[in-house]
Amino acid sequence: MQDFTNEVIEIDQLPKYEEVTLTSPHPKYWNVMVINICVIFLISGLALAAFLILNKLIKPYLYPILIAYLSLWVVTFILYYLSFKKRGFTLREKDVIYKKGIISESTTVIPLNRIQHVALDEGLFSRFYGLATLQVYTASGISGHIFIAGIPIEKAKIIKEALIKRLNLLETEAAAQ
Amino acid sequence: MEKNFSEPQRQSAAGIVILAMNSIQQIIRAVALPFVVFIVKADRQVLIYLSIAAGVLIVLALVYAYLNYLKFTFFLNQQKQEFVINKGVFNKTSLTIPLEKIQQVNINQSLLQKIIGVYTLQIDTPGGDKKEVSITAISEQVAYDLKAHLLNGKKAELAEDHQSELADQTIQTPFLKLSAGTLLKVGLTSNYGSSLALLTGFVYALFYNAKELLGTFDTDRGQVESAIKTGLSFFSVGILIAIALFILLTINIIRTFVKYFDFEITKHQRSMAISSGLLAKKNTLLSAKKVQITTYSQNFFQRKFNLLNLSLKQAHSGKEEDEKDLKKANLEVPGCSLQERDELLKMILGNLPEETATFKPNYRFLNLPIFFKVVLPLMIFLICWVNFPKVQPYYPLAIAYGLIAILMICISYRRHRLMVNQDIIIKKSGIWDISFEHLFPHKIQAITTFQYPWHKSVDVGHVNLHTAAGTIRFKYGNYTEIKQLVNYCLYQIESGSEEWM
Repeated sequence: MQDFTNEVIEIDQLPKYEEVTLTSPHPKYWNVMVINICVIFLISGLALAAFLILNKLIKPYLYPILIAYLSLWVVTFILYYLSFKKRGFTLREKDVIYKKGIISESTTVIPLNRIQHVALDEGLFSRFYGLATLQVYTASGISGHIFIAGIPIEKAKIIKEALIKRLNLLETEAAAQ
Repeated sequence: MEKNFSEPQRQSAAGIVILAMNSIQQIIRAVALPFVVFIVKADRQVLIYLSIAAGVLIVLALVYAYLNYLKFTFFLNQQKQEFVINKGVFNKTSLTIPLEKIQQVNINQSLLQKIIGVYTLQIDTPGGDKKEVSITAISEQVAYDLKAHLLNGKKAELAEDHQSELADQTIQTPFLKLSAGTLLKVGLTSNYGSSLALLTGFVYALFYNAKELLGTFDTDRGQVESAIKTGLSFFSVGILIAIALFILLTINIIRTFVKYFDFEITKHQRSMAISSGLLAKKNTLLSAKKVQITTYSQNFFQRKFNLLNLSLKQAHSGKEEDEKDLKKANLEVPGCSLQERDELLKMILGNLPEETATFKPNYRFLNLPIFFKVVLPLMIFLICWVNFPKVQPYYPLAIAYGLIAILMICISYRRHRLMVNQDIIIKKSGIWDISFEHLFPHKIQAITTFQYPWHKSVDVGHVNLHTAAGTIRFKYGNYTEIKQLVNYCLYQIESGSEEWM
């Protein structure tokens, strides 16, 4: 009973998740995003072109459709660039923090002792730049997972190992009690 | 012969066919629509090209399946006690699952797999997507060996659990029992929504079938409609509504009796057993530790009868659209008194929640609902009013709608509260049914806070508390207070060693 303490918790003294400096995704990840957006738009552009050629009725509206398509492309670029600028993550001693958002700014915190499993995903274009996506899963379903994209592969592997090690450590601690 | 799976290994070679079939299926699903358009328009020559293309696709699928087969390896890391899957042709993924997290291992076989003689092994972890953690093609021997290995760590623990549960099975007097009278009250006061849906469906089917029947004898010249019309003039509308209400309540009462007849809760040492049902008796064993969210709710009528509705939410698989799974994980106590509620809460939460600090939403909570549910519909009505003289006499309805909607939104704003004390979080909400959701901070899996840029200056923001049984949302709160709350919750989760399940 000697090591038992029960001091008053000062809420203002608690570590503040909102004041932690976050690591941005690797600058090269913007290239990956650009390639991904272009691939998606080129494919949908091909589909659109096929549709326009097959459908003669649409011909008079060719230019408006083209302008809409291109402006959608530009808007997507702008939104993704903003979202790229807003992204950030950090690993604290006891939790993972990930911030993202296109219009609203959302911050998700997952305590390390609530992580279910961790996966590392290397997309085709990401691999080209030596980047990876770290996926952290919890028991709360899709809404509670975080996917952190654009981490250099070596660093991502280290983080993954650290998280898993920490997981196992916590589990053995829990089992010992 | 037992393998130990410590070396990375591949699936069965025969499984390539399965993998190929899977990718072909995916391709077909993706291109089905344009494909159908083509076939309808195509002539013979195009059809030949198409079949060539299909052949090429099959060959590509086979190649892809082969590559997939080569890249898909799995092994068991005995030292770290984790199961690792590496996969992906273009996207490389390496998945690590600690053995302790595995809830269940399923072995399935589809028709095609039966022909080839391979099995699918699915690993079920709470919150995980089943499809992601599955091995599509392994032989029976390997599947069962692997299952044994994966569950090995859990075995001792499970056996222990089972034994204590068996020991628990000593007969005890029911702790809560619902009498016929209570069930009658429950039927009178709750679940109107689902009964109404049932009734509407029934009436529609009746009307439709009557028309159909007369139609087959070629005698339908609007008799059904005219019969309804004379019926309408015969009865006044008021009497008709009374009859509809009567039928609705009868259905409600019958449903309640069928579902909750002889409802009993028995208290065991570490769990509680719930049994109910008129036609088929349903038994459920539930341990208080596994309950994630405890909710009780009450509406105006229930308050008059001193009745409450209590529901216990357990962890579900994480797919929120899977209703069957959700229903299985939720347990309902349809009617209990205040004292019984307190007893149940004590049993599940340990003690009754005390006085708490209350978070109130900002008045901006009202903006969006009022715009979308009041202003927008009324604007549409106004446009119709200007353009079609026919709708003009209905303007009292529109005004009534607007007033009722505003009233309901205001009530929902007044009821939207988050109450927090030392060891529990309570979310109050509702318009007609007022519900209180109780959540222990240590059952939280993840926390998300978010804010729109235009709310930055007024310090308004939102928080989502993700749990294994769903998300609890608090909107338009004071963002500084919310951040404090989040820090406090994180402190509680991270400093304590309490398990969430």
